Amino acid sequence: MQSELYDPSILSRRDEIVARLKALVPDGVVSDRAGLKAFDGDALTAYRQSPLVCVLPRTKEEVAAVLKFASEAGVPIVPRGAGTSLSGGALPRGDAILIGLSRMNRILDVDLENRAVTVEPGVTNLAITRAVEAHGFYYAPDPSSQIACTIGGNIAENSGGLHCLKYGLTTNNLLSATLVTITGETVRLDNRGGYDLLGVVAGSEGLLGIVVEAKVRILPLAPVTRTLMAAFASVPDAGRCVAQVIAGGIVPAAMEFMDRRCIEAVEAYCAPGYPRGAEGVLIIDADGIKSEVDEAIARIAAIARGCGAEVREAVDEAERARIWAGRKSAFPAMGRLAPDMLCMDGTIPRRMLPRVLARMAEMADEYGLGFCNVFHAGDGNLHPLIIFDVMKEGELDRAEAFGADILRLCVEVGGVLTGEHGVGVEKRDLMPEMFSDADLAQQQRLKCAFDAAGLLNPGKVFPTLSACVEQGHMHVKGGRVPYPNLPRL
Amino acid sequence: MIVENEAQVVEAVREARERRTTLEIVGGGTRRTFGRPIECETVLDVSRLSGIVNYEPEELILTLKPGTPLAEIETLLSANGQRLGFDPQDWSVLLGSSGMSTIGGAVSCNADGPAAIRHGRVRDHLLGFRAVNGFGEAFKAGGRVVKNVTGFDIPKLVCGAMGTLCVLTELTFRVFPKPPETLCFAVRNLVPSRGLRLLKRVWSSPLDATGLAYLPPKSAEHFAQVADCGYGAALVRVEGTAASLAEKSAMLRDIVPGAEPLDAGADSFRRIGSGEIFAGSLLDITRMVLEPSMPSPYDGYEPPLKEEDWSLWIADWAGQLVWRSNTAGSSSGRVPVFDGGTALLRASVETRMRSHVFPPEEPARAALTRAVKAAFDPLGLFNPGRMYKDV
Repeated sequence: MQSELYDPSILSRRDEIVARLKALVPDGVVSDRAGLKAFDGDALTAYRQSPLVCVLPRTKEEVAAVLKFASEAGVPIVPRGAGTSLSGGALPRGDAILIGLSRMNRILDVDLENRAVTVEPGVTNLAITRAVEAHGFYYAPDPSSQIACTIGGNIAENSGGLHCLKYGLTTNNLLSATLVTITGETVRLDNRGGYDLLGVVAGSEGLLGIVVEAKVRILPLAPVTRTLMAAFASVPDAGRCVAQVIAGGIVPAAMEFMDRRCIEAVEAYCAPGYPRGAEGVLIIDADGIKSEVDEAIARIAAIARGCGAEVREAVDEAERARIWAGRKSAFPAMGRLAPDMLCMDGTIPRRMLPRVLARMAEMADEYGLGFCNVFHAGDGNLHPLIIFDVMKEGELDRAEAFGADILRLCVEVGGVLTGEHGVGVEKRDLMPEMFSDADLAQQQRLKCAFDAAGLLNPGKVFPTLSACVEQGHMHVKGGRVPYPNLPRL
Repeated sequence: MIVENEAQVVEAVREARERRTTLEIVGGGTRRTFGRPIECETVLDVSRLSGIVNYEPEELILTLKPGTPLAEIETLLSANGQRLGFDPQDWSVLLGSSGMSTIGGAVSCNADGPAAIRHGRVRDHLLGFRAVNGFGEAFKAGGRVVKNVTGFDIPKLVCGAMGTLCVLTELTFRVFPKPPETLCFAVRNLVPSRGLRLLKRVWSSPLDATGLAYLPPKSAEHFAQVADCGYGAALVRVEGTAASLAEKSAMLRDIVPGAEPLDAGADSFRRIGSGEIFAGSLLDITRMVLEPSMPSPYDGYEPPLKEEDWSLWIADWAGQLVWRSNTAGSSSGRVPVFDGGTALLRASVETRMRSHVFPPEEPARAALTRAVKAAFDPLGLFNPGRMYKDV
């Protein structure tokens, strides 16, 4: 990576910046080359970049001090939780301080009576459920990376998961948060009155501030959960089934799709016992009280059979766990078969599933690339996995072009570029496909309201950065020009 | 000035920009007395920005114009066995206003109802919108699908913004299947602390109650079915099919053995949500949203000895929403009665001018609020001063 792409005035001050950070966070500064290697990217693995320096605060006061310093010194900040972003949200910059929140990992308060848990941002998603499940509660948003990903990252990305069809995304399960702004001020945010600043911070991809404490809602565990597997002879049949379940007014707890290639990969990886020979399988959870679950399962099974599926129910909790473990290991399972993978994340209206699935298969042929489909069918959130080999000349470019075409198709049928992974660097240049100049200008003005100097996570989300001006028009010029300072592989 | 489409809104805003004149945005006009009193040069009448743009029952998505009356939406959705999850409320009886309450007003004023305790508030249902900002530019934000994280979640910001950020021209909501049947229960003779604790227990159970309200005696008088409630009544609403209601009834009786079925309970919850029982009160009315872990102002509250001193209040959402008429000493005094989640919903012009309608924010948050306002409406054209003096 060529350092001259970055602001030379910052690079030349590196020693001074490191020294200042060491004074602020004495035992939490990583500045040696080997140590920084551990922080050189996230789960968008095609992009790697070493940060200027990495700082690992333990308290909100330290976070505030670091941001105040960065603000005064004019040094950009890249926030990082566990580094599991699939869109490059935590990708470092050579001229930016990487601030890792992983050491702020205490659960501060568990209030069962009020169904609320207060945590520091570095607490993992799953740790919240682990802290309350013995008492009959859980934290609903469950991204597949939940063992590792942190609540701070979840808030930044407004993470979803398998169960958000019924229980909402992170933003719908967040009660309040404490935000440190780029100038080092601490602000408590909730959604009880005044502008819903909490709502706009959720999903802001680290561009508006750093959450140093959050209070999340927990839910009572459902008394009954039943799981169906429906095997289809064609992918569009499965798409029809999904559309009919939703149209029937049924809200399953989860409804997940995997195609043949993915089923085979997962079978080879952990043998969950998926039906062999099917072109696609839907895994469907219904949860709640017994009578409601029984009714939902009966109706879903009838709809699936009507769409030509062979339907089977998990016989016990062990099989249920196996089926879901298989689904959650779809990415690593595919990763074993493919040298490199690109995971897309568009959402489409559910009735468009058959059409979009068929068109994606045609596009794969046109690009001469393999791909497989695994997705949150219930909310129309697609995760096509494009398989390529970065060592083969031109394959990365072809894979990225194929991915971009898929996302354009999502927008064309009334959908969006990203359902849960975020824009990050990955889909940044596609933003103009979905938003007009005026739409993007409004978003950038909002960014400026929180961070006038543009120091928080620069190069993410927006295709071009405009200087913040107090008034008047700020047009996104050109719109499609990639952000020139961002290094690429 | 009457506008009928987005292009006319753009024109009106551009004109206001040039002339530096302010705009009071009015839809059905039923909530005009909510907020700080404002005097604008122009009334921008958006009531004709009305009608369904796109309704796909099978997709559970509804796109419409903000001037669409709530009643029209309910009729349409009902015919398809659906409804809006946040339970939008018409406050016109309470506010003593006439006209048609619209969806744009419900969004801008966060007018959500009893079922929001189960399904979430306005913010959890608005997926996307179109609007015209203070630069005179039409823009959109969010999307038309249930799961979307593309760009900032600006739809959250316009909920409860009192029309101070932009002129809404189109709204997209997720809608929910409407359960076929409803059952309500009452538990009588509960002092506030016991009533609130009981509601919290039900809220923490898998019962998925869509109504959890407490009525002290003076409020219960307004509901014929629970008028004789002793020290107060807790009301619970559950919904579902006949089979699921049978199961839920049994579950509820396990939690609260004294729960009795309540006739016409659905109407009780309608009247709780609309705040109409406060209409006859001469006092100021506040509506206060609490985080679940915040102590209720009525937890530990003991009514004054003399019955004529009893005050009118309701705790909805298992205690997380408190409606009250402001009498001195009408709560336990454990929490300020005008904290960040409070809105002075009804008061005289003089009172609203003199005191805060929304409590002042702490300085760092107030600075963000002003900066956000400026990001949408730097010249302060839209409803200036309606939320806070300078917003």
